[in-house]
Amino acid sequence: MHAIVLVKQVPDVSNIPEEAWDREKGTLRRGVLDSVLNPLDLHALTLALDLRQAAPAAGSRVLCLTMGPPQAKAILFECLARGADEAVLMTDRAFGGADTWATAYALARGIRKIERELFRGEPYAIVAGMQSVDGDTAQVPAQVAEDLDLEHIAYAQALELTDGVVIRRIGPTGMETVRPLARPFLVTVTACTQPSYRSFHRSRASRRQALLEWNAQAIEADPQRIGLPGSRTQVFRIFSPSEEKHKSCRYFTDAAPLAAAVRERYLQGPAQAAAVQGRAYELDGKQASYHGDVWVYVEQAEGQINDVSLELLSEARKLAADLKVHVGAVLPGHNVGSLAPSLMAQGADVVYLADDPLLRHFRPIPYKKTVGELVVKYRPQIMLFGATPLGRELAPRVAYGSDAGLTADCTSLEIDDVERSGVTLTAILKQTRPALGGNIMATIMTKGSQTQMATVRPGVFKAAAPDLTRAGTVIRHAPALSEADIRTDILSIAPLPPRSGVAEAEIVVSGGRGLGARVRYERHLRGLAAAITGTLPGRVELGASRMAVEDGFIGHDHQVGQTGQTVQPRLYFAIGISGAVQHVSGMQNADIVVAINKDAHARIFNYADFGMVADLETALPALTEAFAAGRTT
Amino acid sequence: MNAIDCLIIGGGPAGLATAIRLKQRLTQAGREAAVVVVEKAARLGYHALSGGVFETACLDELVPGWAQLDDPFVTEMVRIEQDDLYFLTEKHAHLVPRSLVPAAMHHTGDAAISLSRLAAWLGKLAEREGVEIYTGFAAERLLLDGGAVRGVKLVDLGRGRDGTPKKNFLAGEEIEARVTVLADGARGVLSRQFVEAFGGGENPQIYSLGIKQLIKLPAGHAFGGKRVIHTLGYPNRPDVFGGGFLYSMGHDHVALGLILGLDWKYADLNGQLELEIFKGHPFMADLLKGGQVVAAGAKTIPEGGYYALPTLTADGGVLVGDAAGFVNMEKIKGLHYAIRSGMCAGDAIADALAQGNASKVALAGYRARLEERGILSDMKHARNYRQSFKHGTMAGAPLSLLQSWLPFRLAMEQDHLATRADARLNRVKTGMDKPQFTSLSGAMHREDEPPHLRILDPAACVECANVYGSPCVHFCPGEVYRMKGTEMIVSHTNCLHDGSCQVKCPMQNILWTVPEGGEGPRFRAM
Repeated sequence: MHAIVLVKQVPDVSNIPEEAWDREKGTLRRGVLDSVLNPLDLHALTLALDLRQAAPAAGSRVLCLTMGPPQAKAILFECLARGADEAVLMTDRAFGGADTWATAYALARGIRKIERELFRGEPYAIVAGMQSVDGDTAQVPAQVAEDLDLEHIAYAQALELTDGVVIRRIGPTGMETVRPLARPFLVTVTACTQPSYRSFHRSRASRRQALLEWNAQAIEADPQRIGLPGSRTQVFRIFSPSEEKHKSCRYFTDAAPLAAAVRERYLQGPAQAAAVQGRAYELDGKQASYHGDVWVYVEQAEGQINDVSLELLSEARKLAADLKVHVGAVLPGHNVGSLAPSLMAQGADVVYLADDPLLRHFRPIPYKKTVGELVVKYRPQIMLFGATPLGRELAPRVAYGSDAGLTADCTSLEIDDVERSGVTLTAILKQTRPALGGNIMATIMTKGSQTQMATVRPGVFKAAAPDLTRAGTVIRHAPALSEADIRTDILSIAPLPPRSGVAEAEIVVSGGRGLGARVRYERHLRGLAAAITGTLPGRVELGASRMAVEDGFIGHDHQVGQTGQTVQPRLYFAIGISGAVQHVSGMQNADIVVAINKDAHARIFNYADFGMVADLETALPALTEAFAAGRTT
Repeated sequence: MNAIDCLIIGGGPAGLATAIRLKQRLTQAGREAAVVVVEKAARLGYHALSGGVFETACLDELVPGWAQLDDPFVTEMVRIEQDDLYFLTEKHAHLVPRSLVPAAMHHTGDAAISLSRLAAWLGKLAEREGVEIYTGFAAERLLLDGGAVRGVKLVDLGRGRDGTPKKNFLAGEEIEARVTVLADGARGVLSRQFVEAFGGGENPQIYSLGIKQLIKLPAGHAFGGKRVIHTLGYPNRPDVFGGGFLYSMGHDHVALGLILGLDWKYADLNGQLELEIFKGHPFMADLLKGGQVVAAGAKTIPEGGYYALPTLTADGGVLVGDAAGFVNMEKIKGLHYAIRSGMCAGDAIADALAQGNASKVALAGYRARLEERGILSDMKHARNYRQSFKHGTMAGAPLSLLQSWLPFRLAMEQDHLATRADARLNRVKTGMDKPQFTSLSGAMHREDEPPHLRILDPAACVECANVYGSPCVHFCPGEVYRMKGTEMIVSHTNCLHDGSCQVKCPMQNILWTVPEGGEGPRFRAM
């Protein structure tokens, strides 16, 4: 079987040199950053090479496809050096300025041409990285699948070739083993495999290999659907992440009040929830540019509504109040009708219920068909999805299929009037999201669409208290589904391995060389971690600085920092850690940082919310006891 | 298929000049030949660092008409208009009258450049000539075949920390070529093997360590945009050879550095800290007020001069640039030597290939051209210059003026022999620390690869700790080395590829091998 790997050239946001920052404007000079192959695409390529090796139909080939400026050839040469057989560059000024919608359209045309002219009808698979590090939207592969009407197998971890192609992927309820039933199919990869290296001799040979270069005409693209004209979103403004962390450390001298303050702050919930508060919009009788209600996609599993859907309903209420329209909740599933009242209590005026046995398990095709039919029939002006794994699979397809722009991972939504090139847009949705690895913020607006769609990460908005007196109507929708819409066979669903690893923990207790010896790390940190486990919700893991790992306090898996794990826990303890930049770069996005060090000048205090200058031998047992005491209160 | 006529290891100025000149000659002669440059850094220039004063005349010969090229490297080049030498005491700075500064140390009219940017620019020119450049490939071994250089072997890729091959293991590929040019810099891994195989100079090679920061000054700063200053004295003790510099680099940036002869005796000398102390001098602090360090790095410079030059050619092999030791200490410059030696090598290899012969005899034209171009005669003139400073700048200054009349060879000993257990500076820490310095170099290595810095005998580290107090812990600018009890802990991820540990370890107990290609520092404008 052949494989097409979708690859992208991206700026290297893992290594941002000081000179790349425009400190006055607070933004990044993107041109200063190195251009590299998107890291997940490298894993996609590795999976495709495994596929070629394991399913060696005679003449199976791995072909890499990218769309970009001529400089993007560099990543195609790299892919050839790493083992790909062929490469195609789609390049044309007309492709420039494309958003995910216009990119997916163009790539799909390129894939059709490959299918016709290079593979000549032979079976193939499409493999892509789940997302790129610059846009981080995960939209393009899903939208390519939508354009070509393919099954999309997302979050693939590994390939098994015992009996045909079987893919292991992380599904909504567990680790799924799935068999694609139709060819071609599209796989997106999130696993970090050990990527194949570049070979020198392959590198040399690749330079002699002619890359195929196709322009817009060659792929028979509709000029109105590519580049800027084809885009359904537009960047309105780029600015600095305003909430740039200027932490001020609150110092404590005693363990008990420190533990109490940490506990209180932790239990308040994520700091960002309260941070974004859009001002109320007044329509004042103006004619709004968009029409229709504000919708929320309701994600449920086994009759349990995902919290993010409740958060979005509360936010939708506010937007609908500004716009003086209703809130709709879209609820597909099987035997889920009983959830409607709680959606109404949370703010829904109308629940669109699609109950069908084929919707028992989430599969992208029946779900996107169902939701897409509703969108096209009722045309909401805004539709929100949770940026959950499921939302990231579903929203791009619904948006593409219903000709709507989509903005991923918004951190703020606001109704406002906008004037662009002499045209006033009234009461549109301004969608703000981080980009380039969170180093810049972008405000985006939808264009050329009847519905403005956005995904929002869990925890960004707060769910209001349910109002059990609210009532609403239920509209039942019978989706036009058939067995032909089921294009994967789920062979098994195993429970996900318990989430492990310091990178995934909600609370990380890290120790550094200040602890002095392994026995003290063992005694104090494990004790503290155990005490916190019993007191605060969330999984607690141990972490360490590089020096502590080198000194053998704990294994390398627990190393936090530039050359270890990057962690983003709700709560981070830095104990006996000086705060070298290499460590800080791995933990600076932690929500709450507690630093304990005997050196009052340690740099770690610059990044801490709570601090204690103390001898660790006495402070840590006291802190452990203070947390343990909190268990009973 | 696709045999390589000339393989050049190292994409610095010497290697690229070799490639450009050779390719030009081959093209003129109407010959199709593959000239291939292999560089271990992820990009050209990422492992290139220098002070930055550059005599551009050599470019006129290498790339006629270069000054008219529309490239930021050319259009933004800083031409030096003001050039001062200061002698620093602890509190004061004394301008040395220009009449007392030897003519060889006048820099007006020269350019102040970034070597990283020069290498990147030369790379573009080389590719335009038809040279093939492959970055991110690290060579670990010189392939010798009955006394002839056959090519190189690249480092194995995809080993775990303990050396076990992982799923993606790729055995180091061999690259063969008719002529292999080693342009891998001061104490390059392959040039070291070359010297071991074919012989070193009469004197052992000695080195100095350059520590550098790139600093962005606030707009409207007083330093001026076309100025260089050099300093002698503080913070160096009189018995430490070296000096400081501060160069305009354009766009309100300045390059600040300290060059220290690695034959210092102090067991606890920390060059990275010395640079911070230098910055704290009232004169320097005033010039640097409001500045922000945007990049940092270090490199070693071969200073042994004429008598330390090793055998330069072998059957199928040539040494150029810093790898050979072409630095004129009288001028404190090696950059134009790197380029000129590369051009000489390019010409000689072109002649040899034309004869269809890559033997040592056929390559003899290299040495003849070095003589012709004045490189060897200049170096011969300065042959005892650096040796005069064996006992520091103060003692050396008068002797250095006389050195070229000395009829004999002033002997040198290897730098590590100079370390004295009882000589300590006991400096108080100040300013930026090593982790921050390292971070500003952009250095990065895969954490779980076998450390490329090998401790040959762990027991020797214990002995060294007892006798010398582990000098590597102090002199390594990247904080790679740390003693924990009786164990030497090596943090290879911090390595700046400066090579000082190989030179200065008193026990000669550290072997610097190459890490996977594409790793190490990332200098963009150093």
